[in-house]
Amino acid sequence: MTSKIINMAERIKDEQDRMLEAMFASEPIADDGFSARVVSKVRRRIWLRRLTLPVATLVGALVAVKPLTELVAVIAGLVQMIPEDVLGVSAVVIPQLPTLVLGAMLLAACLIGMRMLED
Amino acid sequence: MTTSEDHQLVARVVSAQDTDAFGELIRRHQSHVRNFLRKLSGDYTLADDLAQDCFMHAWDKLQTFSGKGSFIGWLLKVAYTTFLQSKRKSKRYAEILQEVGHASEVESPAHATQSEEIGDLDRFLAVLTDEERAVMVMSYACGLSHREISEATAMPVGTVKSVIFRGKEKIRESFDIKDHQHG
Repeated sequence: MTSKIINMAERIKDEQDRMLEAMFASEPIADDGFSARVVSKVRRRIWLRRLTLPVATLVGALVAVKPLTELVAVIAGLVQMIPEDVLGVSAVVIPQLPTLVLGAMLLAACLIGMRMLED
Repeated sequence: MTTSEDHQLVARVVSAQDTDAFGELIRRHQSHVRNFLRKLSGDYTLADDLAQDCFMHAWDKLQTFSGKGSFIGWLLKVAYTTFLQSKRKSKRYAEILQEVGHASEVESPAHATQSEEIGDLDRFLAVLTDEERAVMVMSYACGLSHREISEATAMPVGTVKSVIFRGKEKIRESFDIKDHQHG
């Protein structure tokens, strides 16, 4: 009820209001490709956002591969120093450890990548 | 151009990132937004650039549109914020230029060219502050209610009314000055 009264009060216009409305009135502006330009900008932005994270992940992985393999080799070397009976695994498994760790990291990266593509 | 159609299009954009629906929203409202920004800035080229920025911001923030008011009201709020941000940036730019001694570059050439072809409305708008101009344009050019203007400008409804009153007074005074000067 109150809002109706407010709306009615707003609709009561004096001469100056009508003059101002006429003065402020303007011809509609033709689209002339404006909306198409904005939509193409929006689509570009969507693609950029979709690509940014996978590309950054790929670059990060490429940069990190060398130090990571070195780190894994060092860890494997340290593991080999531990006596076999303390570790509880056969000596044949230990040299394959770097491959296993790298495989696990690649698998994790693939899973994250697929999840991002799905999103 | 109904509000419910706008709301349906907004729902399509928010739920499925539907760029076609967003394109339709732009087609429906670009004229209002560009007219609003043209009157606010007085510079057609700048206004069209700001309108593009406004729609890009709208795309990013569309999920914040609650659907309670009209979509055009919300869109003009985004346009007004975009205008104020741009104004702050250009003010800062001008300050930096002045600090490094390039005061002559401060004036925009586009503005200078257009000042020669300004009409009565532009002359009257020139006597208003940015805030008054925005409120007057929203009220008289875009036909927004006081409540919608209040939401768009984050001012209480009472303040909107007093800003409109003040703007009208200033324009009335400008009319008198003009009448006095010319005749």
